Amino acid sequence: MILIAESINIMSRSIGPALRNRDPKPIQDLAKSQVEAGADYLDLNIGPARKAGDELMAWVVNTVQEVTDAPLSLDTTNPVAMEAGLKVCKGKALINSISPARFEEELPLVKKYNAEMIGLLWGLEGMPRDAAERGVIVAELMYAANEMGISNEEIWIDPIASPVSVEINQVKACVEFMSMLNDIAPGAKSTVGLSNISNGTPDHLRPWLNRTYMVMLMRHGLHSAIVDIFDSELVAIAHGERPQIVDLVDRVMDGERPDLSSLSEEEVKYVKTVRVLTGESLYSDSWLEV
Amino acid sequence: MAFEIPKISYSGKVREVVLGTGDKAITVGGEAVYPFYLFEGEMPRLPRIAMEVWDMQPDGWPEAALEPFAGVTDDPVAWAKKCIDDYGAEMIALQLISTDPNGLNRPAEEAAAIVKKVADAIDVPLIVWGTANHDEDTEVFRIVAEQCQGKQLTIGPVEEADHKRIGAAAIGYKHTVGASTPIDINLAKQLNILLGNLGVSDEQIMMDPTVSGIGYGIEYCYSVMERIRMAALTQQDEKLQFPIICNLAKEVWKTKEAGLPTEEDPKLGDVKKRGILLEAMSATVLLLAGGDVLVMRHPEAIRLVKEIIAELSAEQ
Repeated sequence: MILIAESINIMSRSIGPALRNRDPKPIQDLAKSQVEAGADYLDLNIGPARKAGDELMAWVVNTVQEVTDAPLSLDTTNPVAMEAGLKVCKGKALINSISPARFEEELPLVKKYNAEMIGLLWGLEGMPRDAAERGVIVAELMYAANEMGISNEEIWIDPIASPVSVEINQVKACVEFMSMLNDIAPGAKSTVGLSNISNGTPDHLRPWLNRTYMVMLMRHGLHSAIVDIFDSELVAIAHGERPQIVDLVDRVMDGERPDLSSLSEEEVKYVKTVRVLTGESLYSDSWLEV
Repeated sequence: MAFEIPKISYSGKVREVVLGTGDKAITVGGEAVYPFYLFEGEMPRLPRIAMEVWDMQPDGWPEAALEPFAGVTDDPVAWAKKCIDDYGAEMIALQLISTDPNGLNRPAEEAAAIVKKVADAIDVPLIVWGTANHDEDTEVFRIVAEQCQGKQLTIGPVEEADHKRIGAAAIGYKHTVGASTPIDINLAKQLNILLGNLGVSDEQIMMDPTVSGIGYGIEYCYSVMERIRMAALTQQDEKLQFPIICNLAKEVWKTKEAGLPTEEDPKLGDVKKRGILLEAMSATVLLLAGGDVLVMRHPEAIRLVKEIIAELSAEQ
């Protein structure tokens, strides 16, 4: 699994000011520590960047490239900023992201800068309501991209993970869709903004949801994920170092009901989390205790 | 092949909660099926209606809502007695409107004294509802819980922020809590878990999912209540298997439509009938979503809703 590290983000309390003040040190330190922690890509999220976004994106790309060769995922909704970043990016960049509303402005950038792209399944009418609507948007997206000469292999589909505390049917739909992706778009890659699944959950409990949901999506061939790279357990799972956990999650997804008293404390947490993420048990902040 | 009507398979049951004490105590809950799905199973306790009494002279009520209580609205004890004696109320819900810090801001001791007087004057179960101001409610219920020990009151709203303090009072003096959350099933479950962790027994919890009246988002309330019941009855979610209380009268009667004079918008129809029907229809919607206790105001709306309950539960 390819891991894209999420922490260089304008929303972050420490990195936000550094980006705005063009202070390279905290950003470079974080870039290095994310690579050391196992990041394959670094996501550079400057948000909508309406004012001087182009200058900011170019600056952060250069700043990060001074300390690492890791490939970059350029994350902004501002197409001008995106292009400015692509211009100075040395390696093969990942455009994060392109959705149907931005085809015209951004699909040409993929070819022009020999980049790859994340295809975000956010339709013209907003968030798709279920797996089928995700399928419709993928079909649209692949058609438009192929027309521009972009091959399936250069597209990383993001089916959109949404918080478990908001709408469980969306959580299920995202998994269901992943099981269909290869049939709809053969050869396409995939990624997901994983931490979103635990948005709104108490901070110290978020890793359980993030890890478990990742395993559930990996089962359907998840190619990569945008993650909190400092969760070392999550990295270990992604690197195939926790086969017994993956096996356990798979079995519970298949409906097996392991005797909780025979499991370790950690395994029990995974079992309870799968049951919440499959909708079998209703989420509450105390889901690990009941 | 004969046609077979599909049936839902239920695996859970709503817990029974006893409100009040003595001959007039009322047990609510116990459903093992969706509301009024009597062709699929048991609903041993029919929904009940608590009549609303305010602890101060109401301000801004439409004429239609005041009329039945003429002469007693300045005296909560007389008001409660009138509800019972004249309108056959099986339960009273005393709304502690006077404790609102942005309103009359009546001190906790005084508010608690009124609760005590009402509790002593009636023999039907008493629900006491605060203003959702955490400090105020905590203070009032601390005193009320102790002074009304043995009466098995229902006290609420108990929210996450004050659940420890009010929950402790409920445990100590054996009252039922109205666990209140803002129209969110996950938060409702979480509060029930927290109350359980605190030591509030399962027989002391009713859930208040936060409701509104027709035209003010009642669909959303319906949907959340429906999902609560689905989780409770078909997914064995033990932390949601509690009776539901709907504090609806306040919400219905404060709307513009409930009180707009007939001549100001004739197509809305007669103002008196309109208010009553808005209350009765809102109550019906909430009944069908799974309400076990409805807090209502107008005797005529209550009569209509009781009729509906009787019809929906009649033997075929």
